[in-house]
Amino acid sequence: MAPPSSILGTSPGTARLSDEFPPGAPHWLPDLDRREFLRLMGASLALAGLSSCRRPAEKIVARVVPPDRAFASGTAWYATAMPWEGFARGVLAKSWQGRPIKLEGNPDHPESRGATDAETQAAILSLYDPERSTGPRRGGQAASWERFEQEWTARRPEFAARRGAGLAVLTEPTTSPTLRRELHALLAAWPEARWFQHTPLARHDRDGWQADFDFAAADLVLTLGADCFHRHPAALRQAGDFFSRRRRDATRRSRLYALEPTPSLTGAAADYRAPVAPGRFPLVLNALAAALGGRAPSAELTEPERALVRDCAARLAGGGTKGICIAGPEIPEEQQRWVDAFNARYARGAARRLAAVRSDGDAQSGGGLGELVAALDRGGISTLWILGANPAYTAPGDLDFSGALRRAEFTVHVGGHADETAARCGWHLPEAHFLETWSDLRAYSGAATILQPLVEPLHGGRSPVEIAHLLRTGERRGARELVRETWSRGVEDASFEARWHEWLDRGVVEEAPAEAAPAAAAASGLPLLVEGTAAAEIAVLFRPDPNLADGRWATNAWLQELPRPFTSLVWENAALVSPATAAKFSLRNGDIIRCEAGGRAVEAPVWSLPGQADGCVTLPLGGGRTAAGPVGSGRGFSAYPLRAVREPWERVVSLRPTGGHRDLVTTQGHFTMDGRDLARTVPEENPSLPPAERTEAVALFPTWPRDRYAWALSIDLDACFGCSACVVACQAENNIPVVGRDQVARGREMHWIRVDRYFSGDAANPRVLHQPVPCMHCEQAPCEVVCPVGATVHSSEGLNDMIYNRCVGTRYCSNNCPYKVRRFNFLDYRAPAESGVYLQANPAVTIRERGVMEKCTYCVQRIDAGRIAAEKENRRVRDGEILTACQQACPAGAIVFGDLNDPASRVARRRRDPMSYALLAELNTRPRTTYLAKILPASPLAAQDGSRPDPQSRADG
Amino acid sequence: MTSPDPPAPGPLRRPLFGAGTTHAVRVALLGVGLTVGAAGFTTYEYYHSPYWDRVGVAPAQPVPFSHRHHAGELRLDCRFCHPTVETAAEAGMPSTQTCLTCHSQLFRGEPMLQPVMASAADNVPLAWSRVNTLPDHVHFDHSIHVAKGIACASCHGDVADMPLMRKARALTMRECLACHRDPGPHQVAAAEVFRPSGPGLLTSSATSGEGSGRGNEAVPRPLTNCSTCHH
Repeated sequence: MAPPSSILGTSPGTARLSDEFPPGAPHWLPDLDRREFLRLMGASLALAGLSSCRRPAEKIVARVVPPDRAFASGTAWYATAMPWEGFARGVLAKSWQGRPIKLEGNPDHPESRGATDAETQAAILSLYDPERSTGPRRGGQAASWERFEQEWTARRPEFAARRGAGLAVLTEPTTSPTLRRELHALLAAWPEARWFQHTPLARHDRDGWQADFDFAAADLVLTLGADCFHRHPAALRQAGDFFSRRRRDATRRSRLYALEPTPSLTGAAADYRAPVAPGRFPLVLNALAAALGGRAPSAELTEPERALVRDCAARLAGGGTKGICIAGPEIPEEQQRWVDAFNARYARGAARRLAAVRSDGDAQSGGGLGELVAALDRGGISTLWILGANPAYTAPGDLDFSGALRRAEFTVHVGGHADETAARCGWHLPEAHFLETWSDLRAYSGAATILQPLVEPLHGGRSPVEIAHLLRTGERRGARELVRETWSRGVEDASFEARWHEWLDRGVVEEAPAEAAPAAAAASGLPLLVEGTAAAEIAVLFRPDPNLADGRWATNAWLQELPRPFTSLVWENAALVSPATAAKFSLRNGDIIRCEAGGRAVEAPVWSLPGQADGCVTLPLGGGRTAAGPVGSGRGFSAYPLRAVREPWERVVSLRPTGGHRDLVTTQGHFTMDGRDLARTVPEENPSLPPAERTEAVALFPTWPRDRYAWALSIDLDACFGCSACVVACQAENNIPVVGRDQVARGREMHWIRVDRYFSGDAANPRVLHQPVPCMHCEQAPCEVVCPVGATVHSSEGLNDMIYNRCVGTRYCSNNCPYKVRRFNFLDYRAPAESGVYLQANPAVTIRERGVMEKCTYCVQRIDAGRIAAEKENRRVRDGEILTACQQACPAGAIVFGDLNDPASRVARRRRDPMSYALLAELNTRPRTTYLAKILPASPLAAQDGSRPDPQSRADG
Repeated sequence: MTSPDPPAPGPLRRPLFGAGTTHAVRVALLGVGLTVGAAGFTTYEYYHSPYWDRVGVAPAQPVPFSHRHHAGELRLDCRFCHPTVETAAEAGMPSTQTCLTCHSQLFRGEPMLQPVMASAADNVPLAWSRVNTLPDHVHFDHSIHVAKGIACASCHGDVADMPLMRKARALTMRECLACHRDPGPHQVAAAEVFRPSGPGLLTSSATSGEGSGRGNEAVPRPLTNCSTCHH
C-alpha cells in the first residue's frame, strides 16, 4: 500500500471532530437576550392562539374558457431546447397549470437522450430569477419598447444611406438558423455593417469543421485536457455512449486515458490518468508515438505518465482496437494535428468530421472582440448592438472594451439581466428566457430543435430573433412567424403545417443529416512534436468554472450552492494548485496569492487540489461578478483581467503569497476515507466482492415484511463520474431551498443527495472516487426508533417516510443516522412569500418550514403518481415506469430505481451482482440503497517487471 | 369568669395561615385543576367539533348555485362540471363557458346569473368560496378514488339535497384512515360512483374506534402508509 502523503492522510475534519462546540455551532441573534426572547415567544404564542381560532377562507378561481384537453389534468409537457453555449440541449419542459416547473432530457433528442446536466436542471430557476431585467432602460432609467423603436426608426435611414457603415452587431456564437438568417439578411442589405462574435469560452470548430466521436464504438479513448463528459456541447451523448460500454452487460469494456493539467470529471473517470503541465504534452505524446512504434518510451516520464503510455500503446498495438483521441480546446495547433493523425490511424470509423454548427466560423463574421475593439478605437463604429454577450465582464484584461465602448454614440445591450455591459450601454433591452419565446437551435451533431414558449414573457422580454429583425427592418414581427419563415422557406402549405407540428411534438426537426466526413486519411505516422525545455515558471490556466461556466450562471443560486467537483467549494471560486506547489510557497487552503503578468494582477485564495499538475495554477472563470444581483455579485474573484487576447487559456505569471487569508466554504473538508471502505473498488481481473461480505448478518429485530412492492435504488460507482446533475435535479423536484454561504459554513446545506468525493493513493495523482449518497431507506432504520413523535416511520413498501407535519425538530433522527443524509431547517429557508421563485415549486411536494427535518424520499410523489396510474389500469407498476429525479437526470445511467419483489427488475438484477454492496453494511441497517463497486483497471499491460500492485489496496488510501 | 389569656400581640403569636386556609387552598387548587381541565376539554372539543370543521356550513358564493337543482332535479352528471375528476388530482371547477352551455339561452336575464354573464363578458373568472378543503401537507387525488369505486357522495354527501353547497363531512385524517384501513365496505360499483346520493356513504360509526394515533402500526398497509398522502 502506498503510504498516504500528508495532505491525504490528515483531514481537516478530524481536528474539528474533537471540538464539541466548533466555531459557528451556536446560532443566536446577538442583539436578543434571554428575557427579550421569552417575551417575544410569549407574544407570538398568544398571537398564534388568536389567529388559529378560525381557518382562513379560501377561494377557487375557475377559468372563463375551458382549457385544452392537454391541460385538463393540469400537467403538460413541451419538447424544446436549452441553449448551452449556443448549442441546443434537447429538453422536455413540464408545465403545471400554465407555469413551467421542471426540465427533463428529451429521450427523442439525439444529443440529450433523456439525460440532463446540472445547468439544464438549474435553468428553470433562472426563469423566475427576481433579478431578471424587467423592462427596457435608457441611460439607467426605465423606458419603453415604443420609445426605443421610435429612436431606432429615426436612426435607420442614416444607415440605409451609408449601406450600414458605422453599424456593428456583437453576438455570442449561435447555432440558431433564424438568427443567422436575420443577420445574413442585414449584412446583405447593408454590406458595410459588421457582425462580430464573442465568447470567453472554448470554440469547438477548426477550419470550418468540428470533430465528432462515436464513444459507443471506440474501444480506447485518449483525452488531452478535454472534459468530454462535462464541459462539451455533446457531453450528454458522449457520457451516455462511453458508460454504455461500462455496464455489466457490455461485451467489451472500453478504456479511458487522460492527460490533463488540472483535474476534470472526465479525467477522474479514466483508467489511467496523468497530471501533465501543458509544456510537457509534446514530451508525453512523443513517448506515446515511440511506444506505438515499438521503441522504448523516453526515460524522462513520470511514473503515471509511463504507466499510461505503456498500457495505451499495448492496447493499441493489438490491432483492431478502435482508438480515438480528443483534444481540449486550449491545445495548440501543432498538437491538434498530432491528434488528427492519431485519429486517422486508429479511429477506424469512430471519428468523423462534421461541418461546423456554430457561427464562430461563419464566413460573414467580422471576427471577435479584439477586432471589435480595434474598430471602435479607429472610430469607425457609431452604433453598436450587443445581443446576449457580456463583454464588459468577460473581455480579456488587455482589451479595454469598456473604454472603447464609449466611442460609440448609440449602444444597445440585449440580455436577460441588466449586467455589467448593460450599465455601460445607452440602451438595455430585456431578452426573453428560452422558455418564454420562439427560437431555433442546433445541437452539436447538427440536429435542429424548434424552441417553443411555455409562458408569455414574465417581464416583457423579447426573443433575440425578434430583436435582430427589429434591428434589420425597424419593424416588429413575432418570433414564431420568423422561425416558421425560416423552416418553411416561404411555403406554408398543409404539408408544412403537419411537419411543423411533428417537429414541435418530437423536439427535433426532421431533415437530412448534416454532412459528415470520416477523419482525414492517414497521411503518415504521428508527427514528432517539438519538446520544450522544462519550464521553471508558474503558469496560470484559465478554465470555465464547473458550475458557473464563464459567469453566465452567477445569478443562479442553485449552481452557486452546488458543491464544485473535487473541491466541494460553494458560493465562490478558488485558485487551484497542486499540493507540491502549495508546499513550495507554504500555502494553506484559503491563503491569498497574487498572480501578475503583463502589468495586471489577480488576487485569489488558493485551494490545494490533489491531481493538479505541479507548476500550474488553475483560475476558474466566472467569479467576481459586479452586477449580478445579491446572488451573483462579489462571489469569488474574476480571472478575466489576467487573460490576454493571444493567451486565452494559459499564461506565465509571477506568483507570490500576499499574506492574506480567506476562509473558503466547502461541503466536504476531508479527502480520504480514513481507512473505511465506503466507496469500494474491485480489481478488473476479479470483479466481485468477497462472498462473506455479501451475506446479511443476523438481525435482532424481525425482518421487514415485504408488501406488494419493495422499492430500492442501486448506484453504479463505475458509471458515476461526479457531474452533480442528480443533485440539482433533486433540488428542482423536491423544492429544496438554498441556504447561503454562511449556513453552508455551519454545515447546514440542504441537498437531499450529495456527491461525496474521496482521494486515494498518491497525492500527486490520486484516484478519485465519486459516491452519490441519498437516503439509504434502511429496513432497520436507526432514525425511526429514536423519533419521539413518530415523524419518521417505515412504509409497507420499505420507504423511510418523513412526515413534516409531525416533526417537532428534536434532530435525534439526524444524530442517529450513520449516513448523515438527514437535513434540518435550522432557519426558515423558504423564499419570501411574495417571491417569484415559488412559481417553480413542485406542487406535489410540501414546502418545509423552520424546525423540520427532511431527507430523500425516493421521490415518493413520483412513486405515488406511478402507482395511481398503474392502479387505474388494475396492474402492477412496470419496471422503469417510475424514475426518481436523480435517475432521470443521470447521463451515465448510474442510478436505477425499482421493485425488489420483481426478480427481473433492473434493480433486483443489480442487487444480485457480485459487486453489489451496502454502505456501512457492518451496522446491519439493511439499506435499500446499494452500490455497485467501481472497477479498477489491471496494472499496465506492458508492465513486465512483476511489481503488479494489488488493486484493492490502492483504493483505500 | 375565667378565660384563657388572649394571645399576646406580636408576629410570633399570629399564625401565618388562619384556620380556614387549608380549606381555601384545597378549594383553590381544585378550582385551578377544574379550570385547566375545562379549558383543555373545551379546546379539545372545539377543535374536534363540526363547528371547527365547518361541517354543514354553506359559505356565501358569488352565484347561489344549487346542486339540488342541477344534480338532483336535472340529474346533470358530476363530470359535466367537474371534468378532470377521473384523470387528475383535482376534480376541476366549471369554467364560465360551461355555465353558458345552457345559460346562454336559459335565464339569461336573471339578476342571480349576472356575475356569470359579467365573467363571460369581461373575461374575469368567478372566484368561488372553497367548501371542502384539506391542509396543504395532504395530497389527495380524486382520480384514483373514483377509479377504485369510492362514490362522490362518500365524502361530499348527498349533494342532490343541497340548495347551497355545504360541507358534508369534517374530512379529518381520522375519517381518511377509517376508510383507508378497510376500503372494501365503502367501494361501490362503477355505475354508482357518480350518483349524487346512495350507498357507500361512510357512517359516523365507521370513524369512531381507532384513533389516528401515531401510525406506527407493526405492519402498515399500503393505504395507511404516511407517504400515501403526505409527501
